[in-house]
Amino acid sequence: MNQRIRHLTVALIVLFGVLFVQLTNWQVVQRDSLVSNPRNNRITLREFDTPRGDIITADGSIIAQTLPVDAANGSSKYKYQRSYPKGELFANVTGYYTLGYGSTQLERTQSAVLKGTTPQQQLEATGGLFSKDDLSGSVHVTLRADLQAAAKKALGNREGSVVVLDPNTGAVVAMYSNPSYDPNLIASHNGNVVNETLNALQSDTAKPLLANAYQERYMPGSTFKIVTTTVGLETGKIDMMSVFKNERAWVPPNTKKPIRNYGKKVCGGDLAEVFRRSCNIPFAQTAVAIGPDLMVNGANRFGFDERIPFDLPGAAASTFGGTAADFADSLALLAIHGFGQGQVQVTPLHMAMIAGSVANGGVMMKPHVIGSTRTRNGTVMSTTAPEAWKTPMSPATAATMTQLMIGVAQSGTAACCLQLNGGISVAAKTGTAQLNAEGEKQRSHAWITAFAPAEAPRFVVSVFIKGVNDAVSASTGGRLAGPVARDVLNAALALPAAP
Amino acid sequence: MRPPPQVPPAPPLDNSLARSRRGVELGLVLLAGFITAGAYVLASLGQRSSMPARIVPFMLFVLSLLGAAHVAVRFVARGADPLILPTAALLHGMGFVMIARLSDRWAGLQATWSFVGVAAFIATLVVLERPGDLRRYQFTSLALGVMLLLLPMVPGVGFTSGGARIWVSVGPINFQPGEFAKILLAVFFAAYLAERRELIVQGHTKILGVTLPELRHLAPILVAWAVSVVVMVGEKDLGSSLMFFTLFVVMLWVATERTSFLVMGIGLFVGGAVIAYNMFSHVQTRVEIWLNPWDQYTERGYQPIQALFALANGGMTGTGLGIGDPGAIPAAHNDFIFAALGEELGLLGGVAILSAFVLLVGAGMRTALRAQRDFEKLLATGLTTIVAIQTFIIIGGVLRVVPLTGVTLPFMSYGGSSLVANYVVLALLIRISDTTARSLHEVPDDASIAERFSLWRLRRAAAA
Repeated sequence: MNQRIRHLTVALIVLFGVLFVQLTNWQVVQRDSLVSNPRNNRITLREFDTPRGDIITADGSIIAQTLPVDAANGSSKYKYQRSYPKGELFANVTGYYTLGYGSTQLERTQSAVLKGTTPQQQLEATGGLFSKDDLSGSVHVTLRADLQAAAKKALGNREGSVVVLDPNTGAVVAMYSNPSYDPNLIASHNGNVVNETLNALQSDTAKPLLANAYQERYMPGSTFKIVTTTVGLETGKIDMMSVFKNERAWVPPNTKKPIRNYGKKVCGGDLAEVFRRSCNIPFAQTAVAIGPDLMVNGANRFGFDERIPFDLPGAAASTFGGTAADFADSLALLAIHGFGQGQVQVTPLHMAMIAGSVANGGVMMKPHVIGSTRTRNGTVMSTTAPEAWKTPMSPATAATMTQLMIGVAQSGTAACCLQLNGGISVAAKTGTAQLNAEGEKQRSHAWITAFAPAEAPRFVVSVFIKGVNDAVSASTGGRLAGPVARDVLNAALALPAAP
Repeated sequence: MRPPPQVPPAPPLDNSLARSRRGVELGLVLLAGFITAGAYVLASLGQRSSMPARIVPFMLFVLSLLGAAHVAVRFVARGADPLILPTAALLHGMGFVMIARLSDRWAGLQATWSFVGVAAFIATLVVLERPGDLRRYQFTSLALGVMLLLLPMVPGVGFTSGGARIWVSVGPINFQPGEFAKILLAVFFAAYLAERRELIVQGHTKILGVTLPELRHLAPILVAWAVSVVVMVGEKDLGSSLMFFTLFVVMLWVATERTSFLVMGIGLFVGGAVIAYNMFSHVQTRVEIWLNPWDQYTERGYQPIQALFALANGGMTGTGLGIGDPGAIPAAHNDFIFAALGEELGLLGGVAILSAFVLLVGAGMRTALRAQRDFEKLLATGLTTIVAIQTFIIIGGVLRVVPLTGVTLPFMSYGGSSLVANYVVLALLIRISDTTARSLHEVPDDASIAERFSLWRLRRAAAA
């Protein structure tokens, strides 16, 4: 029997030899093709199964964090669950982070910092030979959770947005868009929940996944008169001494169709008065007086028709709605654009920047939401330094514009609704963007942009309320958006000033 | 008058060889223990960047289990091959580290089963001091083995899990009786063939020019084989079916030394495989997944392909313990534990594990070669063949050498039945090895505990 047992042993060792060969085949010979196989999601999965840092607001609220999944309860095969403690409040800032559905906003652009794969974080790794160190970093945003909540509350259930900036630095202090969405549902490990949520959000006509504060643009209405007036002052076509005729209608050159004031009223007077009352005809005349070249040039100095250098992805560009050549062909179009109707479109963020440039002595700062990025043990890796983007006007013009805007708040279209606590002075411009053609049912967006304190501005706010229903359309920017701006400014100004 | 036969003088009956063998075993067992503890620490460092919280209790647990097993061998099987226990301990330890790295809950259960397994090992060694005793129970083994195999098909007791009806539930305990049936059938085959191998070879009839043994001698073996194969096909457990078949053919071939049996066995296997493929859809499914898993990636091909991705992720040197993603493979702790180990330990670690199995099989076969009695020779051959074939079937399935069939990887996979059964196999091999050493006068053939007890009773009776 011994010979048979020896043969058997040899046969078994040959079988094991086959295993050796095949193991080498998979682990060495075919390794590269297996690793690069499109079905091999191990690399993304590994990334997903590592700790990820927090996103934290300026007032210390965590708005995105990674929680360990309790392995024992078996509810998920993954180690970590991305969580957004504030729900939909910051969805359009943080975005979401998923395994199979990609990532958006800060979760996408700041992924390297949050994961800890930036060179600086990698250098901090110690003892990484035997282990995966937790190198996750954190992103500190300039937004404040308290002001964001105040913005959301003030806006209520109306579609629109509130943007609050520090005009001196460009830091976004609050930026809320309604509708929003709950990123927790998209970050769920339950594929059915994610699919249902995403399908519902994508088919929603109100587009909750797009932040209307900066990813969409709207007709600005009379708020655009800040631009027209500034360009008029800068080009010397108008000044505080300019007086406009009291008119009910005015026919611009080369056309027969008259331009009317809001509510078909008779409106006129000196610049302060027409700005305060927001007459249309004077600004149509001003735009025509400035002319196509200078008007387009002036709008470009405000950043129109140019990508806004924002540190969140997908920021829409505002547009003046035509080239100098277009307007040379049709001065009537230029006239209409002069008071923010026609093809002019502005993002609510840009509107805050426009008013912010007035508040900041004529300099428009680059807007940003990222304050700093830090390593896991708190070392600051980068801070966002304030940076000027545009200089649309001289300090003198800015001072003039501030006076005009104070007039709006004190005795003009915003006087009804913009009294701040403690009598703090405020400068503003309202807008009621008419979406309907003449004779059609009234449909309009409500706008206001304001900054305070007017003499030493700390905050600039732009409120936009979308004209999706009669309640919005029947009212004006001052009456609808004004109280929202007031509440948000009151909340912001109640905060202690930064040293 | 014929001179009396020259009897070679018996070597001096001292314990020096036994002592040196046990010394080697102790050293290797401690080495296995420290490798296990080191791997446990590395896995924890890799996963959590911290020392394992319970490293001290873990070390004590490992060392006390290994120590207990070693002490049992030292006391009741001191002549045994010193490689068998340490090799199994190393495989057991590395398997446990991987299971613990995958899930704390499984680790706790596996720790309990490890304890039971080592207890079964010691109990087997202590209770069975003369392996020849088992010959008396050959038909009991057959009956018990067949009964255990049939048990999962009994309504109310057996249940299906993972597509195979191989589980039995008694009270709070679930187990796979097939794991124990394989030992009992090996005992039966060994005892039956040792007794009748001459008869089977000599008493033959010629049918169509082919020499066949008389049916009357082969009948019990054919029955045992038929029952096991039918039951296994009925329970959809292809791996175990293949294992029993191989055990049957190999033992018949080794016992009779007739190559015709091997040829017949292979013929039966091919025929059976063709029939099974055509009759059973689950066999066809297995073969299809084996030949082209990519076509069924989202369904049944997912697991084998994830195993290949894991192996590729490991590459030559592996990701390192605790740093790979073996959790991505479904059932990584069980049938696919070799892929999980291959990912984190790489080709080098995989080869080390395969080599450990080769060493274990080699030690088993050396035990069979050295054994002095036919029964012990055949039993050692059968038990070693089971371990080797089971290992080949599951690792070969993971590596796509053969169609994947769910059997456990001996000593490494998660699962109590498998662990306990394999420790019993280990104890039997060690017992046979020790008995051989005694027969060869390498170590003193001291009286067994049972024999000393009988002697004590006799003396007491005489004194009275």
